[in-house]
Amino acid sequence: MTIKEIEQQIVEEFSLFDNWMDKYQYIIDLGKSMPVIDEARKKDENLIKGCQSRVWLDCREEDGKLYFSADSDAIITKGIISLLIRVYDGHTPDEILESEIDFIDTIGLRSNLSPTRANGLVSMMKQIKLYALAFKEKQASGDKYSVEDVQKNVIRALKQVFDPEIPVNVYDLGLIYEIKVGEDKNVFIKMTMTSPTCPMAEDVVNDVNNAVSDAPGVKGVQIELTFEPEWDESRMSEEARLELGLM
Amino acid sequence: MKRARQDIISEVRAKVPALNLRMNGEPLVYLDNAATTQKPSQVLDFLGDAFVIRNANVHRSMYELSDLSTTAYESAREKTRSFINAPSRENVIFTSGTTASINLVASCFCQKFVGRGDVILIEGDSHHSNIVPWQIAAQKAGAEVKVIPTDVMTGGGRSGRVAVDELESLLSDKVKILAITQISNITGLHNPVGEIISAAHSKGIPVLVDGAQGIVHSPVDVQAMDCDFYAFSAHKIYGATGVGVLYGKKDLLEALPPYMGGGDMVETVTYQKTTYAPLPLKFEAGTPNFIGASSLLPALEFAEYLRNGETGEAVKEEEKEIIAYMLDKLSAPGIELYGKPSAKEEKTPIFTFNIESINAGDLAQLLDKMGVAVRSGMMCAEPLLNSFGVTSALRASFAPYNTLEEARVFIKCLERARMMLS
Repeated sequence: MTIKEIEQQIVEEFSLFDNWMDKYQYIIDLGKSMPVIDEARKKDENLIKGCQSRVWLDCREEDGKLYFSADSDAIITKGIISLLIRVYDGHTPDEILESEIDFIDTIGLRSNLSPTRANGLVSMMKQIKLYALAFKEKQASGDKYSVEDVQKNVIRALKQVFDPEIPVNVYDLGLIYEIKVGEDKNVFIKMTMTSPTCPMAEDVVNDVNNAVSDAPGVKGVQIELTFEPEWDESRMSEEARLELGLM
Repeated sequence: MKRARQDIISEVRAKVPALNLRMNGEPLVYLDNAATTQKPSQVLDFLGDAFVIRNANVHRSMYELSDLSTTAYESAREKTRSFINAPSRENVIFTSGTTASINLVASCFCQKFVGRGDVILIEGDSHHSNIVPWQIAAQKAGAEVKVIPTDVMTGGGRSGRVAVDELESLLSDKVKILAITQISNITGLHNPVGEIISAAHSKGIPVLVDGAQGIVHSPVDVQAMDCDFYAFSAHKIYGATGVGVLYGKKDLLEALPPYMGGGDMVETVTYQKTTYAPLPLKFEAGTPNFIGASSLLPALEFAEYLRNGETGEAVKEEEKEIIAYMLDKLSAPGIELYGKPSAKEEKTPIFTFNIESINAGDLAQLLDKMGVAVRSGMMCAEPLLNSFGVTSALRASFAPYNTLEEARVFIKCLERARMMLS
């Protein structure tokens, strides 16, 4: 279904209710039944700040189409978000950017869109379009870069990720065992930690994932964490050893 | 024969046209009075007339229309003077609101009397208007803003009451001014203003009192209170928006440098030097909001009508019952009320609370659809709300024209909204 068709469907659903409280009950039920967002995805960078409620919005791409997940501490806001997601989910960045949605107005929830309500809905619609724009640019830029370019960009990105305990980036520390960039610009990274018991392992892997995903030309990232062979100091680059005063 | 309370309250409500509105098809229950109050007909008529029969710039012209305008403006000043029992009209400055009044003092006082290393003391239960102006002024002066904590901040309780016992240790030689709140717009609790002022005065420290809520819910006598500055807004006490009052002791007002320069605040002007007009005009640069300010005359007359005689008695009785009813209902399981009073006299009908695991904004939206207007969010007091560990809350604030019946409707609608959201 197109964005317009889904909108039309929602408008029809809402026309069944003849009073406000029933409309809101429906929205509340939608909010309650919305899939819970992964806690790891509820990070500050996905937080859209409003005055009265907090809204998190996350976006992923699959086969050129965008999929959204979201959460809010206000259940009515969450219900309306679930309607927004229903409208936008599974569409291409272009379709999203070209769409002019007006169903929120049509079903009588206009006041929820007024900036003074500040419940994050306006910012959220903006954020959805920003995600679409970002993915569109990324797709376009993907064609610009050769596999070698992407490889360089990935290394540059990895040099921005630091081990939480040692003031050296993960690349120069020798934690990255393998970088494979496919023809489709999907990136595979095999990496390790300084110790198998590193309590920050998950954070470091997340940081690597985020940094590499954002590197120019990268389409997708897959990370494998390994402790074979185990890391030791000899894997550090000269710069790293210099930095740590080991040379 | 004594008239029934019901009849008197109905008479009061008939004077305020907005109370008959319907919202979303339901009778409006307006419980956002701490934000602004609805206006009685006498204020509305006065304002409407003013644009026709008193519309000329004040303090400058020789024609009769200008006289009428100036007289109305100055009559409102006289009414305000007597309402707060200021010694003279020179003590009463018209501004654009509580915020402007506090900014004036913060800016002018700190420019003259506050320097590097000095301390400005504010209160933990303040709203932003009595925090931010001091931060800005302190930054310019190289001074520091310190806070008299609430019981929440000291771990002494969860009422949001100012911890007065902390005051003594905070009143060091470095403190140059103390800015306090008469009644918090979140907790609705009366602060022990007299006690705080005499503690400050014993060390020679002047005190500004933010009366934004205080002016509505308690009689104010600035001389008895002995505050050095007192600030309030007209619109919270049935007057026009965009008008505020700053009361100041004369010697202090005279010692302060002017705030803004312009017409009306000058005596003689040459291109090189200007001498300033005497008080209060020294602080009223430019054309003032003379029509808005004049509305303080009928507005304060209405406030007096609500306080005095049999109306005053009826309103007071009704308010007592509203407070008792609301305190009872808001002590139900799962509800946290901020500003629980330890004594009845301490509480004004401002109720800020949260219901466990329900977002205040959600409640406010559903209440709106049932005709009930309440505030949700931070209520311009982010630090105090954060100290309670929350980022938003719901606030129902009553005015003297609200009824116990409206409190019942509010609670009924709140219960319905709570059920829908649970």
